[in-house]
Amino acid sequence: MVGLPYDCLSNPLGAVRVTFEKAVAGSPDFDPATFDRKDWGAVDVFRSFLFNDGGLSQVLVLEQSNLHLIRPNSLVRFRGMVQDMLGNELYIGAFKDGSTWRTNKFTDVAPVPISPASQTRLWERRLLYCVPVPGQNTWVSEVCPSTQFPTNLSNDHSLNYGEKRRREDNANMDFDKEGELSSLSPLEMVTRDVAFNSRISPLDAGSLSCLVKIYDMPENDIKLNDVIEFIGVYTFDPDVAVHDSNDADEFPYGLMEDISVHLPPSKVPRLHCLTFQKMSPQDLVSRSCFIEGLPSAVRVVRESLLRHLTAVLGNDGLAAQFILLHLLSRVRARVDVVVVGKLSVNLTGFTRESASIFGNELVRSIGDLLPFSQAIPLSVEYLNTTQLQPRKDNSTGRMIAGILQLAQGTHLTVDETRLDAGTLNAAGVENARLLRQLLEWQTVGYDCEYYKLDLASDVQVLVLSDRKSNVLPADVVLPFHPVEARSTVEAPGEEELRAWRWYLAAMRSLPLSIGSQMQKVIEDDFVASRQEDKTLKGEDLSRWVTMGQLMSASFGETQLSLEHWQMVKEMERLRRERLS
Amino acid sequence: MAKKSLDFAADKALARDFLKNFADAHGEPKYLKILQDVANRRVRSVQIELDDLFNYKDLDEEFLQRVTENTRRYMSIFSSVIDELIPLPTEALPADEDHDILMTQRSEDGMDSAENSDPLQRMPPEINRFFEVYIKAFSKGAPLTIRQVKAFHIGQLVKLSGIVTRCSDVKPLMQVAVYTCEDCGFEIYQEVTSRVFMPLFECPSKRCKLNKAKGNLILQLRASKFLKFQEAKIQELAEHVPKGHIPRSMTIHLRGELTRKVAPGDVVEFSGIFLPIPYFGFRAMRAGLVADTFLEAMSVTHFKKKYEEYELKGDEQEQIERLAEDGDIYNKLARSLAPEIFGHDDVKKALLLLLVGAPHRKLKDGMKIRGDLHICLMGDPGVAKSQLLKHIINVAPRGIYTTGKGSSGVGLTAAVQRDPVTNEMVLEGGALVLADMGICAIDEFDKMEESDKTAIHEVMEQQTVSIAKAGITTSLNARTAILAAANPAWGRYDLRRTPAENINLPPALLSRFDLLWLILDRADMDSDLELARHVVYVHQNLESPALGFAPLEPSVLRAYISAARRISPSVPRDLEEYVVTAYASIRQDEAKSNAPHSYTTIRTLLSILRISIALARLRFSETVAQSDVDEALRLMQMSKFSLYSDDRQRSGLDAISDIYSILRDEAARTNDADISYAHALNWISRKGYSEGQLKECLEEYAALNIWQIHPDTFDIRFIDA
Repeated sequence: MVGLPYDCLSNPLGAVRVTFEKAVAGSPDFDPATFDRKDWGAVDVFRSFLFNDGGLSQVLVLEQSNLHLIRPNSLVRFRGMVQDMLGNELYIGAFKDGSTWRTNKFTDVAPVPISPASQTRLWERRLLYCVPVPGQNTWVSEVCPSTQFPTNLSNDHSLNYGEKRRREDNANMDFDKEGELSSLSPLEMVTRDVAFNSRISPLDAGSLSCLVKIYDMPENDIKLNDVIEFIGVYTFDPDVAVHDSNDADEFPYGLMEDISVHLPPSKVPRLHCLTFQKMSPQDLVSRSCFIEGLPSAVRVVRESLLRHLTAVLGNDGLAAQFILLHLLSRVRARVDVVVVGKLSVNLTGFTRESASIFGNELVRSIGDLLPFSQAIPLSVEYLNTTQLQPRKDNSTGRMIAGILQLAQGTHLTVDETRLDAGTLNAAGVENARLLRQLLEWQTVGYDCEYYKLDLASDVQVLVLSDRKSNVLPADVVLPFHPVEARSTVEAPGEEELRAWRWYLAAMRSLPLSIGSQMQKVIEDDFVASRQEDKTLKGEDLSRWVTMGQLMSASFGETQLSLEHWQMVKEMERLRRERLS
Repeated sequence: MAKKSLDFAADKALARDFLKNFADAHGEPKYLKILQDVANRRVRSVQIELDDLFNYKDLDEEFLQRVTENTRRYMSIFSSVIDELIPLPTEALPADEDHDILMTQRSEDGMDSAENSDPLQRMPPEINRFFEVYIKAFSKGAPLTIRQVKAFHIGQLVKLSGIVTRCSDVKPLMQVAVYTCEDCGFEIYQEVTSRVFMPLFECPSKRCKLNKAKGNLILQLRASKFLKFQEAKIQELAEHVPKGHIPRSMTIHLRGELTRKVAPGDVVEFSGIFLPIPYFGFRAMRAGLVADTFLEAMSVTHFKKKYEEYELKGDEQEQIERLAEDGDIYNKLARSLAPEIFGHDDVKKALLLLLVGAPHRKLKDGMKIRGDLHICLMGDPGVAKSQLLKHIINVAPRGIYTTGKGSSGVGLTAAVQRDPVTNEMVLEGGALVLADMGICAIDEFDKMEESDKTAIHEVMEQQTVSIAKAGITTSLNARTAILAAANPAWGRYDLRRTPAENINLPPALLSRFDLLWLILDRADMDSDLELARHVVYVHQNLESPALGFAPLEPSVLRAYISAARRISPSVPRDLEEYVVTAYASIRQDEAKSNAPHSYTTIRTLLSILRISIALARLRFSETVAQSDVDEALRLMQMSKFSLYSDDRQRSGLDAISDIYSILRDEAARTNDADISYAHALNWISRKGYSEGQLKECLEEYAALNIWQIHPDTFDIRFIDA
């Protein structure tokens, strides 16, 4: 089409093959061992196609709704959170077919049958199990610009369409005709259709998880709970898919279970990752408003957002200020035992009624503003029965997600007003401990059966309670004093919402610093305050500095200024007044 | 291929040479001895250690490398060499087993058909062997983690560590299948190398083939050879999992003598061969190109948990020696404890000594004197007591952290409970019993259950827990060092009340602690500014300020301490006098003061000795030096001052004049107008003053012409004397 012998979009494997053949031809005495753990240029082809030639927007996003429309072995995108890491898989990466080397990279099935006698090379790839980001708010997928279906596919929803088209493609493409794709037997056709139909089960409609296979990339590039957009080859092979259940007991004994038994390809699509990009909150909000770099514009957005929050909180201006800083907070670093940058807030003075009025409104507003948010109704029953802790199940080898397995930057609202006196069972005590650990250290202890693995998290926690919560010690405790009996909020316009979302995402990622002069002021301020009030501790100062920096960030500034420091001190004074 | 097989023949000769001639440290032929034991049916496993191969003089490194990279092949080479080398039994073997009868029968048959070249009819050597060959990886060198094992390790001998999460039952695995043919009556052998095999149905023997008889084969289970076989799963250790990742697992195959060696929860080190498992049948089709892998275990080592059994790894010995030569090791080690907690140098020193401890002494009359040091930290909430405790537990190889309230019904000591299943009375040990030979950190010591409070008296001195309940009378060992943390009586330390009132623990319990420390959260400008600077620095630079030193890794700390604990220093005779005098003077000081707030008893004397011995251990010295005793006295004094520092100020003596009076008294006692600087420093540091204060005092009083100071050595000479 564009002079290339392959089409990256519809026949990515062709591109892989061509580059491989080129690489093989390039060196006469070819030794596949040289490609054992590196790429031969295939990925570069895709990178330049996607990022330099603007191919990215043409790539379909794999979703539950369009899963049955996407042809196997085409290039797709999948956006999700890494929920589990299943370890390495060894596969026959290259083999000698007669006298030529062929590769099986980025696919599940060999293009030609491998004779048992042929020379093979075992390569490895990593398996990641990815799920939709927990707590992702609906507007995120609407905002993301890439979900529209290319018109050439969406007009015909019949199942055979994809089949036909592919066969035509294969013919047109004139590549490797002996490949398994063009030689489907009638029986295989039937089973394929069966498999296609069974995929649209109502059970997991709407939530699509994906088994991503990663090649050759450094292990530390991807971490658990990262939100990532993977771009790669979507494979679905009927031969592999059909015999899902009928041979589960073929292996009568043994601990060597195959992970894919639990993840049938008919429900969990496979994606052979060619390249990926990490998604920051900023990537998830629309970039339609270009007010970056204009301090005045930032100020305007800040004011309107603050007005909105004040209205939501029944005209409690101070609470709105704190919530704004809270929404901008993120874990910036962990220094020894200190988590720098977190600012969890505990609004007290809620009753069950007011929590249902203001709390719900607040949760809804936060959901409108941040890409990922969750709310927990903390009751004795909830603590006793819910699994908050992610747990590694050693009998299946899977990580079983708990509520607290959250993507970085998720907002969590805990409504403690529902807590009654009652007895916690072992699970309840453990859950309460986990929540506390999350608030204090921003880590979640994953249960690996014989030990606990503390994984760093970055979750903004807002606690609503009657009195100061002892179960969940937040950084800031603020009695909530609404002026109005209920939220007086008007539904914000779409344009406004977009500006606020952008504002929160952008300001949150600003780098922050303190000038040396300000450092001196802060130090002196603290020493003076401590002379008056001996109960002040290092944590208090740490909180002040955090708030000061967030205050600067809320104005779009990266340096803490005296003015903002004074504002924060005033906020603290008002807060103390309310406390006493 | 021809070249390769030649190589193998040569390697076989090398292997034979090695087995025959390798001599262990005592000059005895190690492997020939093992083979003799095998012939006598005492052992079944022949473990060939790479260490021995490495040390064997005549072997080239290439051979070693070939063994590690193609281990399975070399196992069979060694096996066949052993077949040839195996000596005749030197002992009368026990009554013939079935196996032997079968073997005799077979060898007779073998004579008849010796000319028979049918490979399936020839007896495979495996069926004859009553030994198993294992090749053990180098004991030196760190084991790999599971995620470090990559595709290129396939077929190689690797060593890795992990925690066992699951074990299967032990099952028989067929190694050689034996059939008899209904037609010709021959025994047909089939070697089985994988877990699944295709049974033979037609007799392949020459006679049957010639006759076109298609003789029916019957599998003879009794004649076949089986191996014990067990599968296990291991998971990466927590410390090996990179940040933001989850632990990986690997399947382990254990055969023969290696079965039943591990149980879930064990932390172990395996050496073994990393192998892919071929798929078959439907599964092969389904899994496409994917291959499962496993580790065929060659050896299992359990990790040790106690100090005494701690094995030094690789360069640790060297590292320790280098550290020991460093004069400042005491300070360096102490500062490396909980480096993130600012200050508290003396507390950390005390905690270091708690980790080191002194050896237990058992007197001739059966009396035991404990060597473990007990320390109690008291102080305001939020002064990082709990963090200190937890850090110490992390450093100790065997440590238990618990709170005084004790989360389980068993509490701290022990309890008799009724087993819910069998309805029998069972004794269940509490934290103190579980921490036997280790350290038990008890947080919230003051909030302990009353029953535990009484029991802990016994634990701290006799180091046993006695139980007389429900018909069970016994005492359990609880040889543990106790590290307690307690809050003052009213939550916060009340400066208006006396220390005794603030500490709400009975004197009988307090006197059992060797050191008692009060950590107060005092407000003074300097430390506030220090704190403020620290916090601001952290926020600005997102890292903690440089410590001015590089803290030692906990693993190095652990290695050093375990090395130190192997030494049991003695107190030389001439030092006994010194200790006794020091003790007597403390007693006198106490008698003089009108409100004694310390309980100096004979226990104190033992404490001084314990601390001194621990200090000597740190220096890797077999004898206690005077400096050790001085440091012990200083620590005790500092611990007292942390409690009564206000007293000192109230007594009207400032530090400078107090130092003067100390020096004056000492000069009067020794009847000498000259005091060397070193001596002076010694005396005043015993009373808890610093060198800076001494210098200040020296200058101040020199200006008053009370003494002269030597300009170079700072030695003191009283003018009026």
